[in-house]
Amino acid sequence: MLLNVTNLLSGYGNVRIVNDVSFSAAPNEIVAIIGRNGVGKTTLMKSLVGLISCAGGKIEFKSTDVTRMSAAKRARLGIGYVPQGRGIFTRLSVGDNLRMGEKVGNSSSSKNFDRVFEFFPILKERQNQKAGSLSGGEQQQLSIGRILVGSPELILLDEPSEGVQPNIVQEIGRIIRRLRDDEGLTVVIVEQNLDLIYAVADRCIVMDKGTIVAELTANELREPDVARRYLAI
Amino acid sequence: METFAEIFGIAYQLFDNIGFLVLSASGLIIIFGMMGVINMAHGELMMIGAYITAFSYHAGIPAPIAIIFAGIGAGLVGMVLERLVIRHFYKQLLSSLVVTWGLSLMISQTFLIVFGPSILNVPTPFGSFPVGDQTFGIYRMVLFAVAVMMVASVWAIFAFTKFGTRARATMENPDMANALGVNTGNIYALTFGLGCALGGVAGGMFALTATISPFFGINYTPLAFITVVVGGGGNAITGLISSVLSLAGIQTAVNNVVNVYVGYVAMFGAALVILLALPRGISDYLEQRKIRVRKASSRENSS
Ligand SMILES: Nc1ncnc2c1ncn2[C@@H]1O[C@H](COP(=O)(O)OP(=O)(O)OP(=O)(O)O)[C@@H](O)[C@H]1O
Ligand SMILES: [Mg+2]
Repeated sequence: MLLNVTNLLSGYGNVRIVNDVSFSAAPNEIVAIIGRNGVGKTTLMKSLVGLISCAGGKIEFKSTDVTRMSAAKRARLGIGYVPQGRGIFTRLSVGDNLRMGEKVGNSSSSKNFDRVFEFFPILKERQNQKAGSLSGGEQQQLSIGRILVGSPELILLDEPSEGVQPNIVQEIGRIIRRLRDDEGLTVVIVEQNLDLIYAVADRCIVMDKGTIVAELTANELREPDVARRYLAI
Repeated sequence: METFAEIFGIAYQLFDNIGFLVLSASGLIIIFGMMGVINMAHGELMMIGAYITAFSYHAGIPAPIAIIFAGIGAGLVGMVLERLVIRHFYKQLLSSLVVTWGLSLMISQTFLIVFGPSILNVPTPFGSFPVGDQTFGIYRMVLFAVAVMMVASVWAIFAFTKFGTRARATMENPDMANALGVNTGNIYALTFGLGCALGGVAGGMFALTATISPFFGINYTPLAFITVVVGGGGNAITGLISSVLSLAGIQTAVNNVVNVYVGYVAMFGAALVILLALPRGISDYLEQRKIRVRKASSRENSS
């Protein structure tokens, strides 16, 4: 397993949000996490990234216990995070945003830039523009491109389709698959957009009230009743 | 010749006032303007710079090198303060105000106890030159030149270096910078230290013109804060430049039409009026307007 989460507890201050979550992601796997608004998906992601410290449980990445490791160290170890809302540095240029993804001592980054521009040609055009002036979809591409510059092994995507036009969502879906198929990346993706999940996910975890209530294959989720039951849509 | 001397005198005053404001504010523009930390002890870091300069100078070190020592010394003290104290009070405006005020008192009282109420001054170098029937100190123009160089180098550091990019990213969104592998704690300490180092250099420069005492900083901090607040947080450098030009411009103008004291009052009055009209400072207003103009033009393009 590339990522192994066992009995994770976390939250904000004394408020427990993520309650006893265990799951794992194998190398080269795309795992989706779904659940209604406010069930704790983002809180779980932030705990995995290291932006929220865990009250209990264990997170292992590449067989290393990272539970108490700082977010910066986890990033350098190979975890790339695309947060909900994209986390773009709006006052920096597009190019500087991408450079923020470079890891210390990484010599191959010019090759990585070329690859990012191949995935997202629009970013090359907009390199010198302030990132805050990009549209939602372009910012989402920038956020994904930025972590690719640092060659992560695991990428954590939090609702990449939010506020993004449908054609760009499809494009993002294709890119996620390519990252897995061609580059061997492992992906954990939080999504409410079922089309995107059908397009990419191998496996789907359903969260409710901070815990995992079901695990489904993407096909199982496709049955109309199932999705309705878990997402109440 | 008469009018040339008059015009030269006014220009000289303007440059002098600009240099004074820029030097006083250049450290705070980073600490308050960029980081959003109210550091009431900034004047005391300038004072430390002045003491380092004076002691080094009297130990036989040439003044320019003594001033560089002042920058390094104040920068190191600043980094230690950031690690030990300041970092616990980010985003707590009121606490940081009280805590750094306490620090400022502690630092100046310690200097009072250790070094007494004043120390040997450093003579002002370069002498002066006459224009018409007035004489003008050369060092004042050196202050202006150093002020310009300081703004230019701060701008270059934040615009072109890896550290600058990381610092700007960290100030905008520390969590995201952290999640991208940046040790944001180090960035905060270095940025704060850089602001203090600039304060130390400014203190060292002013040490050659002023009486050096434990309360040296009080001469500079109020104006420095006003300059930075008027400039606003939209863009530190344009904020500093626009604020300094308007404040120094008004001060110089009123100074020549009325007198020095009314000139000071007019400058404070101008700061008040600017902040009433643009509560978030000039640079914030300019940035907002740029965004509005861009949005308007992209609407036109798409329609
Ligand atoms: N910074 C915070 N401090 C305190 N409580 C928070 C904070 N952020 C989120 N919460 C609370 O934690 C709970 C879970 O929020 P979280 O953002 O993890 O949900 P989510 O599943 O990602 O929802 P969404 O689908 O809307 O993104 C919510 O009840 C929310 O109010
Ligand atoms: Mg969320």
